[in-house]
Amino acid sequence: MRVETIRAAGGRPAHIRHDDLISAKGVSVVMARQLVLQNIDLSVPKGSFVSLIGPSGCGKSTLLKVLAGLVNPTSGSVSIAGLSPVEAARKRMIGLVFQDANLLPWKNAVDNASMLLGIADKSLSRTDLRARGQEMLELVGLGDSAHKRPNELSGGMRQRVAIARALALDPAVLLMDEPFGALDAITRDSMGQSLLEIWQRTGKTIVLVTHSIDEAIHLSRHVHVLGIKPGRITESLDIGLPYPRDLSVTEDPEFVRLVVQLRTMLRASHQPGGAS
Amino acid sequence: MSDQPVTNVPDSRLGSSWVAATGSWLPAVILLLATIVVWEAVVRIFAISAFIIPAPSEIAQSLVAQWATLMQATLVTAGEILFGFLVSVVVGVAIALVIVRFDWLGRALYPLVVLFQNVPKVALAPIFILWFGYGLAPKIGLILVIAFFPVTLSMLAGMQSVDRSLLSLMNSVGASPTQILFRIRVPHSLPNLMAGTKIAATLSVIGAIVGEFAGASDGLGYVIQFASTQLDTALVFAALLLVSVLGIAFYYAAEILERIVVPWAPKFSQA
Repeated sequence: MRVETIRAAGGRPAHIRHDDLISAKGVSVVMARQLVLQNIDLSVPKGSFVSLIGPSGCGKSTLLKVLAGLVNPTSGSVSIAGLSPVEAARKRMIGLVFQDANLLPWKNAVDNASMLLGIADKSLSRTDLRARGQEMLELVGLGDSAHKRPNELSGGMRQRVAIARALALDPAVLLMDEPFGALDAITRDSMGQSLLEIWQRTGKTIVLVTHSIDEAIHLSRHVHVLGIKPGRITESLDIGLPYPRDLSVTEDPEFVRLVVQLRTMLRASHQPGGAS
Repeated sequence: MSDQPVTNVPDSRLGSSWVAATGSWLPAVILLLATIVVWEAVVRIFAISAFIIPAPSEIAQSLVAQWATLMQATLVTAGEILFGFLVSVVVGVAIALVIVRFDWLGRALYPLVVLFQNVPKVALAPIFILWFGYGLAPKIGLILVIAFFPVTLSMLAGMQSVDRSLLSLMNSVGASPTQILFRIRVPHSLPNLMAGTKIAATLSVIGAIVGEFAGASDGLGYVIQFASTQLDTALVFAALLLVSVLGIAFYYAAEILERIVVPWAPKFSQA
């Protein structure tokens, strides 16, 4: 993290991390009189793959919602390329993927993939939308399933359509909340691998919420561990494994070492702690 | 769930469901035939008077003898049912849309709709005759007050059960409430609405008959009333039979409509 103090035009000092796409400073969230997130500082470099991992109730999903502009922080600030999350979302800079694909059952894959884009950009014609949807389906490996309805697709394929729908907006950042959490282990591995390939091909910045240690290490460049009561970042871990990675990386001694290290960090994060 | 495509071809599913359907109908058909035979036998053996319980053969005779009158009455009643049903669906959908789209209006309207549902509708029939006369209007009015409620309620349930994260997705790209209503909530509610529509179809038949009981010069309800004053019980049963046939016809018409409107609904996707 390169932090430098420069003199802005107005003469006042400003902290600028010029390679950060997302920066959260001192974010706290209080919901129903509970401190859900406490004083989160998070920076996500442009083009990187960052995972948030932690036990249930650590607020990792809430943090993702704060980054997406769906939850307002009680204090602190978030900036996405200098904009507030809500402004960034309106400028189609944020692509969201949740655990449930949430496809529209009455639309086929290609119309689902272009659905959000159609809402966001009313100037696009139906043909433009279809073309864009088809292009995105091909990117996620579903080019020949364009006319299938969600009930004709498997869970993994539905999630691929959800990723295509997010990518259709051409967002700067993809925010993913346990996108593979409902899938079986084999499908999950292949989805992770596809996501890595999509990431490398598109150069998007990705923030992934997960509870899988293997997934976090396999995919990410940086992992942040969140602890409970209150939700806070307890540890951060850089994953030095070189890209491109495939599933054979899981047999690498360095991978195994990182798994042990991350598991130890996660165990510690289960302990409630007051001040961090 | 594996990452393989789910192959459920609609055609083969429909084919197998027909085979399954005839198999599942068979016991019902046998029971119906047995009932008719026993009925006929009991009436003949105990020499029960035709104006108390007519034998099925007497009902059939009456049906044939009065065929022209009965068909004319059936047509009148069917028209009332169809018209009343359509009005009920339109009004029911409109109320549901208003309740969901305009929050404050919804909070004002919904309790009143529920309250009104507790009024015994049959008791309104004489009032409707008083207000609208003996023609088509009081029947339509009665069907409307009886049948709109399941339409409104089912559509509301469908519109309000949209997944929150889907709404989050829509909000994040700046979708307006009207866009969310018509692009997400309304199509999402269609499977529920179709279920409510089937109930409304059945209730429309009841509404039409009650309306004709209260005051009419035509229709199957009128035939039933007239025949019972003449102690022509066989004709009453013949008319009742036709009312049942109308009910079944409207129900299945609604079911076919459902298959056309929401072929993607979960009930049709389960292989």
